[in-house]
Amino acid sequence: MTKNKALHLAVLFLFTAGSAFAAKPAAVKKAPAQPAAAITGFAAADMPYDVGGAALLRWPVGHAETPDTVYTVFASTVENGGWVKADEFKAAGNSGKSVDLPFWAWDGSSSEHALKVDLNAAFGELPAGTVVHFKVESSVNGVVTAASEPVSAEPKGNWFRLDRLNNVVLFVVLVGVFFWAVSHAKRKGLFIRRIAGLDAIDEAIGRATEMGKPIYYTTGNQPISYIGTIASTFILGEVSKKVAQYDSMIQVPHYDPVVMTVCKEVVKQSYLEAGRPDSYRDDSNFFVSQDQFSFAASVDGLIAREKPAAVFFMGYFSAEALLLAEVGAANGAIQIAGTDAEGQLPFFFTACDYTLIGEELYAAGAYLSKEPMLLSALKVQDFGKLVVMLAVLFGTVIVMLGAKFHWDTLVNVVVNVFKAY
Amino acid sequence: MSEPWMIAGAWLATGLTIALFSFLYKDNPFFKIAEHLYLGAGMGWLFQVSVFSVWGPKIWTPISNGDLMVLVPSILGLSLMTQFIPKISWISRYGFTFLMGYGAGLAIPASLATDFMNQIMGTLQPLAGVSSMTPLAIVNSLIVAVGLVCVLFYFFFSVEHQGHFKKVSNIGVYFLMIYFGASFGNTVMARFSLLYGRFDDLYTFSGGNYFYATQIILAGMVVYFIVHELLRKKEASEGEAAQ
Repeated sequence: MTKNKALHLAVLFLFTAGSAFAAKPAAVKKAPAQPAAAITGFAAADMPYDVGGAALLRWPVGHAETPDTVYTVFASTVENGGWVKADEFKAAGNSGKSVDLPFWAWDGSSSEHALKVDLNAAFGELPAGTVVHFKVESSVNGVVTAASEPVSAEPKGNWFRLDRLNNVVLFVVLVGVFFWAVSHAKRKGLFIRRIAGLDAIDEAIGRATEMGKPIYYTTGNQPISYIGTIASTFILGEVSKKVAQYDSMIQVPHYDPVVMTVCKEVVKQSYLEAGRPDSYRDDSNFFVSQDQFSFAASVDGLIAREKPAAVFFMGYFSAEALLLAEVGAANGAIQIAGTDAEGQLPFFFTACDYTLIGEELYAAGAYLSKEPMLLSALKVQDFGKLVVMLAVLFGTVIVMLGAKFHWDTLVNVVVNVFKAY
Repeated sequence: MSEPWMIAGAWLATGLTIALFSFLYKDNPFFKIAEHLYLGAGMGWLFQVSVFSVWGPKIWTPISNGDLMVLVPSILGLSLMTQFIPKISWISRYGFTFLMGYGAGLAIPASLATDFMNQIMGTLQPLAGVSSMTPLAIVNSLIVAVGLVCVLFYFFFSVEHQGHFKKVSNIGVYFLMIYFGASFGNTVMARFSLLYGRFDDLYTFSGGNYFYATQIILAGMVVYFIVHELLRKKEASEGEAAQ
């Protein structure tokens, strides 16, 4: 009897215990998410140095944070409710140092969390003056452990981007160098090294004169505001001056009507300076087409029929580069090309006698004209290149040594100074 | 059987393609026809693009809806046209000034970021993690740094490239040539794909359903060239005999 009672009790105990163990996880899952603590110090503000549409949230690192703690940020454009999940991140992967701003514009510490919230991504483009409310919750394994009180901020565009201060400083220095160079160029002149391809200009024009054939000059397919086209018009001025002196003939087919108008004036002026205004022909500059391949087809036809002795390709060219240069080469013309379209340079190398590579095109205009303004611009470009070369040389040494010996602050300074924000 | 207009289109496309390709032999009337047709069609196409894609949606429609602000850029744009009338060509300066100022304002900050900062940063940034990089990755980053400096030096015009400077400059030229070689190969492959497109069309239109457009046009042109050449030779020999 006693044995039976003991057996019943044991079965009852096991059953009760089993039920209790089986019910335990379900009981935890079903427990209401009660925030164990409030997140204090949670603050929202407009994201500094941007065009608007973003807010910056900051709050201290919690004492109870673990590597598994996940923060979820909610945003809303209405006073009550309407919360939208704006971001979610693991606590360990974010700190005040994660904000992508340089050291002179941002003082974040590792004892806080800081987050840039892109509101345009969450709400689309917000009207000016919209106040956005934020709250943040921390959770571990899906269980909310803490939450903040809602705070609000009004995102707006900023007039000055302090993060781009390095760009402004560089710009001011370059402007200073430019003015110094202009002054120096006017007083004493500025040295520019010899550019090999340009020596061939005289040879090409002389050959055309001897053969009694025209010279073709194209300025590329870009408008007059393009720097390569401007450089090309300066070279055209010098080429047409020599053409006028040799009493040869120049033909300038155009892709752009505005460039044609400018080039007409340039050629006319060159003939005047050469003392041969009577030889100037108004139809030496003529418009062909503003469609890339019909321009190429037409100029190819002209070259094939008139068989010029020299052809100049100066300016920006696209896929028509080889179409033009190949026909000139097939017709036996001396060809001198200059372009800053790096993708087309290989084609000019193969089909032309001389090629000005990239910036040599800009330098050629200054080299030929000796204009103080152009020389100064070239000097500023040289100064810029010097800055880049020195920065890379010394920066490489500093960054490698800094990374090797963990001089994190020094590496951070170098990386920040040369970063384009 | 294809539709008649499809057959006509096929003959036109085939004829124009072969006429333009005929320039590879020499300049000829077929090429001239195709060239002038292309020139006219190209300008006509650009004109309708200007009317229907620029003037209509960007000027006419906003003005019709009462947005008079578009008149400001429109007038500035029109001022450029005064270049063609010498007496009032000074008005175009306003348009040009705005164009240059706007362009410079837009381009300078972008150029400073892309031509200066990004070049320096792109070279230095990988080296910031040198302690965790493989030796090959370090060598790769250093090659990039050396290449950047040498290529830049090639474009440095303030000193004569002689002695040691010439050596640095020459290394820069090697880097440039490697780049140009790769770029050449890449572009040539792209151009071949365009050529295949034309050949594919010629092959398609050579079928019986297009009345053998490719073969007939090609044969016609070949016959023309042979006859033309024979006549030319005959004229030349008659001319020599007359002399």
